[in-house]
Amino acid sequence: MYRFLVYIGAALLLLGATAFGVSLWDGPSAWHTDGRTFWGIPISLFVLWIGLAHAGTLISAIFLALGYPLGRRTSMIAELSTLCSLAVAVLFPLVHLGVIENFYMVVPFLDARGNFSNIRSPLVWDFCCIAVYGMVSALFFVSHLFCEKNPSLKSLIRPMAWLLFPLVLWVHTIVSLDFAVTFVPEWRGAFFPLYFIAGAIYSGLALVIILLTAEHCRVRVLEKLMLSLSWFMAAFWLWEFMLKGTFSFEVVFLGAVVPQLMWLRFIRENTFGRLLVAFSILISLGLERYILVTPSEYDVANAFGWVDLGLVSFSVGLFVLLFFVLRAKLGSLLEGDDVVMGEIVVQEDDTAKTDVPGRNDFTPLRFPLLLGALFTLLYVIWAVSCDNGMVFPLSVENVVPLCLPIFVLVACFTLCAGPLWKITGKRTKIVCIVLAGFLGILAGAFWSGGSSEAPSGAVSVQELTSSKTIEGIWMSRCASCHGNDGMFNEKFVREYYPLPQKLSLERLDSLGADSLVHVILDGRVNMNPYRGRITEDEARGLVRYMRRLAGEEQ
Amino acid sequence: MDAILNALSCLMALGTSMFLWRKPLNVYKEAGILALFLVVFALFSYFTMDASDLAQEYMPFRMLAVCLCFSTTSLTSHKSRYLVFAQVLWLWVEFFGGLTFVYRGLDMPWTRVIAIGSGALGGVFLSHISREMEFMLMVYWIAIWMFF
Repeated sequence: MYRFLVYIGAALLLLGATAFGVSLWDGPSAWHTDGRTFWGIPISLFVLWIGLAHAGTLISAIFLALGYPLGRRTSMIAELSTLCSLAVAVLFPLVHLGVIENFYMVVPFLDARGNFSNIRSPLVWDFCCIAVYGMVSALFFVSHLFCEKNPSLKSLIRPMAWLLFPLVLWVHTIVSLDFAVTFVPEWRGAFFPLYFIAGAIYSGLALVIILLTAEHCRVRVLEKLMLSLSWFMAAFWLWEFMLKGTFSFEVVFLGAVVPQLMWLRFIRENTFGRLLVAFSILISLGLERYILVTPSEYDVANAFGWVDLGLVSFSVGLFVLLFFVLRAKLGSLLEGDDVVMGEIVVQEDDTAKTDVPGRNDFTPLRFPLLLGALFTLLYVIWAVSCDNGMVFPLSVENVVPLCLPIFVLVACFTLCAGPLWKITGKRTKIVCIVLAGFLGILAGAFWSGGSSEAPSGAVSVQELTSSKTIEGIWMSRCASCHGNDGMFNEKFVREYYPLPQKLSLERLDSLGADSLVHVILDGRVNMNPYRGRITEDEARGLVRYMRRLAGEEQ
Repeated sequence: MDAILNALSCLMALGTSMFLWRKPLNVYKEAGILALFLVVFALFSYFTMDASDLAQEYMPFRMLAVCLCFSTTSLTSHKSRYLVFAQVLWLWVEFFGGLTFVYRGLDMPWTRVIAIGSGALGGVFLSHISREMEFMLMVYWIAIWMFF
């Protein structure tokens, strides 16, 4: 069974590998991008897989923390699916960047690297939160995997579950802010944090049910939760429709109507019936993320090119391959033990109520929590004291999103360091020390590699191409549609074209200089490409000119 | 939203909370009731609030969160734990909702966030919740809703 699934995964991976290669080579021009947001399938896949990555650990941690632990196999499969989904998810922002070799610029060293990363941006918070989540999830999985053989690790599981519980919710909330704080009208939603969390848990439950089916087992409580969540998702979609008028029949049908088939006994009790419902939910939420990321695309089928489909195939193939190879390896490693994953048992109900966590369960957490709070406080003091002279001044609202990840990271490592150190072999200890030293040196080198002040002798793009030349280009090539002032030539445009965007400062800020240069050079829906007719420097000069016009308008 | 409608929304949350966690407990029943409440709160917010009012975006979820806070007072076991959870959910909705508004030029409602946060933190230290304490907590939540 596993071998068959591994072959399927490998086949899908190979089918998508070409698309992945082309995407890396060509950058954002390889796939279809939305005309307004400039985002496309890589970000949709990132949001889908990161949601799935959060759900596995969340399901396991919530049940464990509240004193209703799932069966060991179910928990381990959920946690393993988290790690594999995370590995798939992190690839896609790198693909999306188009400059994969410069990905490290997202690391928020505040202004130590000049103006590379904007600490006020949720995209930077995302990077930090997901990095912390990956580390803590891996630690949780390893502790859980070996806790049967090492009793010292067993006492860590529930305290770690309490740490992971808020972290997972926090991280997916931050992912939702990537959308909610922007100026794209379809993304405006103060309710997005809850909406994203509900979507992530819903899709995660569907994935875990599919993976458990491959193990020939089922957990009824997860099915009940999945069906219950379908009603909440329907309520969210209704609110989205009432608020913004956006509605997708396919999403609602696959995500809210089809799951109601679980009320029918012959569907519920049939493996293929359950698989049908679970796959329907995954397709619905995948589609929903694509529609969310590319709000201008009303015809999704036509928007999808071979690269887009290839990237979907690549992501599914990579996940299936990773998961089932690891699943098979871990199963064989623990063969013969009672603690193995994958024993073929049909379970009526996999949850068994255990005693509720008492105050004693939190005793091991006291010192780690204190240390976590101390480090968080230090971070806040440091971030606020760095405020003067920074490229992006910080406010309390900008500092808070990273507080919980820092708190949990420090607390979790403090909690696990002792027990893990005791059971680690000598060779592994040496590797860990060398690795930690290497990372420290790398961080130090990175820190000292940049200046916190802009070099005084920097030459601006505007100086490279004189403002007079840029103004001339604007008047000859752009003003006919966009108007002399950037607020469009109303008479001409209304008669001949769909209305272009007004180039207000908010709009320019929301799109970013690189995206605008991309549009000027390569065009988009109703905008002609100007590559070959103007240079990249001139395009950058035009972006500066647009900003000046927008500033004058305001 | 004017004061009367704001009071009405709080009253709705209080009234609907009575239908939650009635025995026998059942996953489908409780989830169904909560989802239904969410739809009712959404309809209420849609028809009573001005579309230009940004607070409309998260109003149904605020109402659901405060409804959950009220409902915890009727729990028979683990009251303190779920009281903290419900307040943290409310805090979550208010803080992250407020954060999205900060990026649209509004101020973060710090007074409300701190008041809810204090309630949640205080709840951690409650080992026994008497009827009088339940009443005081409900007054506290109503005060936060109405005045902050």
